[in-house]
Amino acid sequence: MKLNKLLTVAAIAVSGMLIASCSRQVTRLSTDETIDISGNWNNSDSRMVAADLTDKILNANWINTHQEEHQGKKPVVIVGFVQNKSHEHIDAETFVKDVESAFIQTQKVRLVQGGKKREELRAEKADQQTNATVSSMKKFGLESGADYILQGSINSIVDAHKRQKVVYYQVNLELTNIQTNEVVWIGEKKIAKYVKN
Amino acid sequence: MQRKLIIIASLLISSFYSGVVHAQQTTKLAPDQNPRYLESEYKYVRNADTLNSLHGTTIQNTYKAYDWYEAKLVRRQQNREWRHQERLNGYYDSPSWGLYGGYSYPYSSFGYGWGNGYGNRWGGWGGRRWGGRASIGIGYGW
Repeated sequence: MKLNKLLTVAAIAVSGMLIASCSRQVTRLSTDETIDISGNWNNSDSRMVAADLTDKILNANWINTHQEEHQGKKPVVIVGFVQNKSHEHIDAETFVKDVESAFIQTQKVRLVQGGKKREELRAEKADQQTNATVSSMKKFGLESGADYILQGSINSIVDAHKRQKVVYYQVNLELTNIQTNEVVWIGEKKIAKYVKN
Repeated sequence: MQRKLIIIASLLISSFYSGVVHAQQTTKLAPDQNPRYLESEYKYVRNADTLNSLHGTTIQNTYKAYDWYEAKLVRRQQNREWRHQERLNGYYDSPSWGLYGGYSYPYSSFGYGWGNGYGNRWGGWGGRRWGGRASIGIGYGW
């Protein structure tokens, strides 16, 4: 009788442990923590690129040069597209947004909306022409024109043999004067990883 | 008829060209501005919406890098799928390869199989794989 009880308790304990070991575990992490799992592009890479390029673009000479040439006016920037020519799917928005955010937070650079979001804004303006009160209606033709466009590219080189692999990423962002096509700033971030399977 | 067409086309082209030239002459140029700037402007105004819709996006123009280890995993996966497909097609369902059945070599003159004491639903270890496909390697079962 006693043995039976013991066996039952043991069986319940073992099954409990089995269920616990099979269930999914989720652990919250700090976004600053670096955890490399597959060796592919990950959040740490994106964070490193954002930090490095933000620092470089905000401390480069182009802002002062622009202000000297334009009676102290802040430069207006629009974000163009980034070409991912690497071997992995990488969305540049994860680090470009950080750069944009730094523009606004530091108040050194003015940012104008582009792409689909700008289309949406114009559509909203068009809607206001017939639906909003005259005093609150926003007019067409009063948008701020960008002085510079921020464009970029992501490239990679993979050197792999058997279970070893070295992956090299190069992220470039460049700022071009829209009026003159002159490139006023280029920033790059290089990342290399050794992966052993 | 053909001559008329040519005349009409040349008239249209010349009127368009003269329009462009006239527009460029009437618009005041900025210092050092190219007097033919409108030709370029007309060209890009037509495509501006399409090009600008990509602003703020990432254009994925990726390439496939060869990775020995990944290629190996892919090969394995493909083989697994291929075997699964073969099973679905009934390739392994001949009576001689049934559950608990003995082993035999239905296609092979040089096939080699063994150990079917605990054979699976489509046959024993490896015999069919060796015999039928004439591939090198040890088949497996579970």
